[in-house]
Amino acid sequence: MKTNFERIVIIGYGKATGEILKYTADRRVDYGYGMEFIEHEFHALSVTKQICEDRGIPFASMPDKGELGDYLKKIREKTLLVSASNNFLFPAALVERENITIINFHNALLPDYPGRNAPSWVIYQGEQRTGITWHYVTAGVDEGNIIIQKSCEIGPDTKAYELTETLMDLAYEGFCECFDSVLQENAEARPQGFSPERRMYRSSEIPGDGFLDLNEPPEKLYRLLRSVDYGKSGIFPSLQTEVSGARAEVLRYRKIAPEKRQEGADMLYLPFADGGFLKIKYRVL
Amino acid sequence: MEEKVLEILEEYCEEAIDYDGDNMMEEGVIDSFTVINVVSELEDAFDIEIDAKYVVAENFRNKEAIIELVRQLVEACEK
Repeated sequence: MKTNFERIVIIGYGKATGEILKYTADRRVDYGYGMEFIEHEFHALSVTKQICEDRGIPFASMPDKGELGDYLKKIREKTLLVSASNNFLFPAALVERENITIINFHNALLPDYPGRNAPSWVIYQGEQRTGITWHYVTAGVDEGNIIIQKSCEIGPDTKAYELTETLMDLAYEGFCECFDSVLQENAEARPQGFSPERRMYRSSEIPGDGFLDLNEPPEKLYRLLRSVDYGKSGIFPSLQTEVSGARAEVLRYRKIAPEKRQEGADMLYLPFADGGFLKIKYRVL
Repeated sequence: MEEKVLEILEEYCEEAIDYDGDNMMEEGVIDSFTVINVVSELEDAFDIEIDAKYVVAENFRNKEAIIELVRQLVEACEK
């Protein structure tokens, strides 16, 4: 198998990145490219460094945007940059370089839900389907031509971290499917059709503005709670609410059957239409 | 307490019960998404808060480490 790419640089974090690293390392025998991994954002549970060590992939940690941008600008060989779960925005000067091709995995079905935290927004908006998009990177955020998309259902109880996991699995599948055509530069990429209402989601935005209004129907509150639920990753601050006139922080929540209801301190039970309850544990601030 | 921790762990990651090594995450026995589920279940079962600073690979290296973490947090809550 032949490619003109001499080098593959992978930037990202998380499960999809780990799997992509393994796959790309295994395919070196087919194409003979060199590869390296750059960790731009550190995560406590990340195992990408170990994967690199096990497979002889050069690993570099570059948390500083300026340092990373300067490093990438110095690349002279024909290089494929794979951006997987990566929040670094590639500068236009790099994107436009002849020797650089960049592909990015976005965790929604572009052109819908461009920008940050797409899994949260699709849950919050009550979408029933979402998916992933691998696209070429251009100077505009999430605007490049689409290489491949894969979709999945959003269940009625799906939390943001669960959806993220599903999307990462899809991202890996999609990557494997389009890898050869991207390397051989014959991928059939199609332009995105932008609607005038296209809205870019920014990292500073929080579903529901981060406030759980207990006057809203429990079904809507449950959607908001699920949409910001990334476990302990701190992607969003804890939701705030107001209980009996006091400001409070939501600690955890759960949908439970009526027989599981157990009264406790700082606990709310809100009835769903189907007979179940939304249990919310809070702490008064 | 130990029994409950193991029950939760088994529900989300059966392999973790039989694992006798010292690095479940790096060895791919448990992944970060499973850890989120386990943490959420442990918090609910023991009515404790597991702060993000405790959700690190070291505390999820094997089942004994998880039990020890829960033991410490439960004891801290009781004081």
